[in-house]
Amino acid sequence: MTKYGQAFVVGLQSNLVYRWNFAVRSLFWFCHLILIFILWGAAYSGNASIGGYSFAQTLTYFAVIFVLQFFVGAFNEDYQISEDIRNGLINQFLLKPINYFAYRLSVFAAARVVSGAFGLLALVVALPLFRGYIDLPHDAWRVAVGVPAMLMTGIIQFSIAYIFGLLAFWFLEIQGFVVLSMSVEMLLGGQIVPLDLLPGAVFNVVRFTPFFYQAYFPAAILTGRKGLDFALQGLAIQAVWAIILVFLAEAVWRRGLRHHTAAGG
Amino acid sequence: MISLSHYLRIWLASARYSLVRATMFRADLFIWTSVELLWISVNVVMISVIYSHTPSVAGWSMYEMLLLVGTSMLIQRFLMAFFWSGIFEMGRNVRSGLFDFILAQPGDPLFMASTRKLELDGLLNTVVAGALIVYSAGRLHLHPGLGDIGLYACMVACGVVIHYSALVMAMSLSFWITSSQGVEGSYFTLMEFSRLPREAFHGIATVVFVWALPVVVVSNAPAREILHGFEPMWALGLCAATAAWFALAVTFFRCGLRRYTSASS
Repeated sequence: MTKYGQAFVVGLQSNLVYRWNFAVRSLFWFCHLILIFILWGAAYSGNASIGGYSFAQTLTYFAVIFVLQFFVGAFNEDYQISEDIRNGLINQFLLKPINYFAYRLSVFAAARVVSGAFGLLALVVALPLFRGYIDLPHDAWRVAVGVPAMLMTGIIQFSIAYIFGLLAFWFLEIQGFVVLSMSVEMLLGGQIVPLDLLPGAVFNVVRFTPFFYQAYFPAAILTGRKGLDFALQGLAIQAVWAIILVFLAEAVWRRGLRHHTAAGG
Repeated sequence: MISLSHYLRIWLASARYSLVRATMFRADLFIWTSVELLWISVNVVMISVIYSHTPSVAGWSMYEMLLLVGTSMLIQRFLMAFFWSGIFEMGRNVRSGLFDFILAQPGDPLFMASTRKLELDGLLNTVVAGALIVYSAGRLHLHPGLGDIGLYACMVACGVVIHYSALVMAMSLSFWITSSQGVEGSYFTLMEFSRLPREAFHGIATVVFVWALPVVVVSNAPAREILHGFEPMWALGLCAATAAWFALAVTFFRCGLRRYTSASS
């Protein structure tokens, strides 16, 4: 097994130790879904459709967004990386033939396997309550395009979190930046409202930002909000953003190392 | 018996220390103020998007809803400004044994633990939440009298007490369990329900979020005071909830305190 495979296995084991954290997070997810159900249920009262979508389609969109976050969302990777830098734990990676980005990506993948399992479990528990409100399309191409979109969403989310974590090379405290960026990411990523409900001109601008591909894009494909042409164009733009962000992460790492002082034993 | 003026002097000394500290880390203050401001903006955008597709949600117009959201945020920002850091650190201090320092201070432990920090960023953002309320009231052509504004202020104060009590109860769990991880998330998740109008809740949701948990009444009662004038039932309900939750929180905290065994070396 390669060193990154080992990191994945160790990550899997350590994340299973913290299974209660994921269970608590699943509970919050369930509460969020109830909140969305109440808010959008009230908005749909007297309206058969909003923005061309039924209540069931909107609820399905949010359910998919939440499950996606469990599978590919970056939770606290930025914090872990910043702690590695602040506590000097990063020094051990500088002395070994290990690529820190690849190592962290392996641990991230392991964490998402565990949290994804909990997300699915929460969905299974919640499903009987929301039966009749879940409306998923059955086109096979949506899965074929949606799965690579999900994987690239994971890379984009991880790279952004990695870059924010590396800010610890320059700043003592990065949580402010992280929460600041989180509000933008959640809004422009479609976690607050489906982005297709925004005015057309705004939607067309947001489409070319990386945030669009952090949650909305795969969810829009999987829930039938967008067609094949849009999905293929989006996949190309998403791939470009994934490559840009990986290179940017590497550049920030190299620049950050110039600031790093490996003190202590 | 320690007098009220003694507590006021202690609080003023803590507030002065917090303000000096906040002005020492100006960049941090700027970032956290921006974070809060951005989250308020995210909520405003969400409401604007929903109302661009429907004229009312649960019978509430857009500006009525913004007034409700502004009120909910005002209460939350006051809590963040005056009590959040102190209460949040309580759990950690109980686990580490640093709570000894609180017990050694000249005053009631709950007061000393929960009022030792004043967060300037939270205080600054009460101005933003206030501006949102004034703007919404202006757009609704409301002209509340001094009496209405006085009642509104009292109701907001009641809301802060209820939030404070709920948070103290949650953090007091640290006396029994080793980790109060997730309390922050659960608080924010629950408080999201306070941004919804009472009329949006039906069936079991009414029982849970309106009657059992005071999340809806804390924001709806003051918002309705400005929108519809004095409504005795809402005012009485809020007063009763405030008294009950505060008494419960103090009792719960004291029960927990009896279990506290110093962990310091």
